Amino acid sequence: MTPLVHGAVWGVVIATVLVTVAVFSIWFERKFAARMQTRYGPTLVGPAGLLQIVADALKMMQKEDILPQKADPMLFRLAPPCAVIFTLAAAAVIPFDEDVLAADLDIGVLFLLAVGGLVVFPVWVAGWASNNKYALLGAMRAVAQGIAYEIPLVLSAMVPVVLAQSMRLSDIISVQAETHWFVFWPLGPGLIAFVIFFICSLAEANRIPFDIPEAESELVAGVTTEYAGMRFGLLQMAEYLHTLIASAVAAAIFFGGWDGPFASGLHWMVLKTLVLFFMIFWIRWSLVRFRSDQLMALCWKYLLPLSLVLVMLSALFVYVRAMDA
Amino acid sequence: MGYFIDTARAMAVTMRNVFRPPTTVQYPKEDRVRPERYRTSFALVHDASGDEACIACLACERICPSRIITVKPAGKRESPVTGKKRNYLEDLTLDLNACIFCELCVQVCPTDALIMLRELAKPALSREGLFLSMERLYANESLAHSWGTGSRLMEMQDPKRGLPALEPGREAPPQGVDPIADGVS
Repeated sequence: MTPLVHGAVWGVVIATVLVTVAVFSIWFERKFAARMQTRYGPTLVGPAGLLQIVADALKMMQKEDILPQKADPMLFRLAPPCAVIFTLAAAAVIPFDEDVLAADLDIGVLFLLAVGGLVVFPVWVAGWASNNKYALLGAMRAVAQGIAYEIPLVLSAMVPVVLAQSMRLSDIISVQAETHWFVFWPLGPGLIAFVIFFICSLAEANRIPFDIPEAESELVAGVTTEYAGMRFGLLQMAEYLHTLIASAVAAAIFFGGWDGPFASGLHWMVLKTLVLFFMIFWIRWSLVRFRSDQLMALCWKYLLPLSLVLVMLSALFVYVRAMDA
Repeated sequence: MGYFIDTARAMAVTMRNVFRPPTTVQYPKEDRVRPERYRTSFALVHDASGDEACIACLACERICPSRIITVKPAGKRESPVTGKKRNYLEDLTLDLNACIFCELCVQVCPTDALIMLRELAKPALSREGLFLSMERLYANESLAHSWGTGSRLMEMQDPKRGLPALEPGREAPPQGVDPIADGVS
């Protein structure tokens, strides 16, 4: 198989699986959130309400396709599919197993962060094109937050890159398989870098407690205010996909990807991704929203300096190890 | 650091809740405990001797704050049960559309003829569905009754008066003790 065919086939498979998991995670989230609040959650459609999300999707497709009178028609229509495409594109370089990956780029982490950073654009475009003050305010907050948290995100992702001395994701995983997972080794920097990476991923995906771009109590629904039907559905799906892919990336670069005790393989990667994904839901339904200034203070005053120190520490670690050898 | 500790505590609280049984009651699929004085619709009842209890005295029609009760007396005739002459009802209608469920009509009923039901509240599909004709009121007699009857409610207002002797299995309040007046003077 040529790399192109290999990439195309696995790309389609991985994208389909990711979208399916993201869609059904909405059902899981609703059930889980309900149990946290000692409710039942969806129970009526299908066994245990499992088909609720299918019913919701059918409902959304039937909704009128609303284009606000003063909206920019092209940008307004372009934003939701772009959000999904940019988010899914990042999944191309994530290795789920030694063979289960679409493209094994030697600049995998760079590609991942670059494409992941693009997600800010559809959000901004959606807010701008809606021509609605709440949507615009939400978009401005999303951009401010996205740019701010991009920096500690990139720096914390640099820690595994420095430790593995490679940007290729499969190299990072094989180095972890040979030594230890980077979250445990070197103890300290790896763990803190993971926490920073995880926090920044939440902020990038605008998930609670970093959801001021769509703070319902202030901004109606933020950038999605003017969207209805499947366009709204796509924007929502982009958010869930983003958190799912961020979990997969964290599992790959900090938790050793497919490497695991007993039998290494795809199942370990899937398990680690789902556990991190579950953590995101758990955090979401336990915490309250940050205030704008608290959000910025956390990023610029704590996460950014800390992640810089971590990059230097890991570089020092690699240097000392090279000197010893 | 304090924020991280609080985060962990918040997450512990939510996870504890996940393992608690849901408190949701799937009403109306699942019946919930109804209080003794839960009241929904109305019924007209027969007295202990099996005769129609209503004597068409118009007390309910007069006291109704939203004026939804219409009573048409039939005049005096001999009771088929006791043989005595008494008043009978020709028609009584009650329009639940405007009812405020104050239970005043039940309270003033001198013969305990009009009572309220302890059944589950049932919605109606039209305004006519909430209109209670005399046939419907008598048909409701077989359903679960609420606690309140005219004599019980009047006794509650004035305990000295006591219940009429016909209440089986219920003791008269002890003489000379007024539970309401005790606390005041």
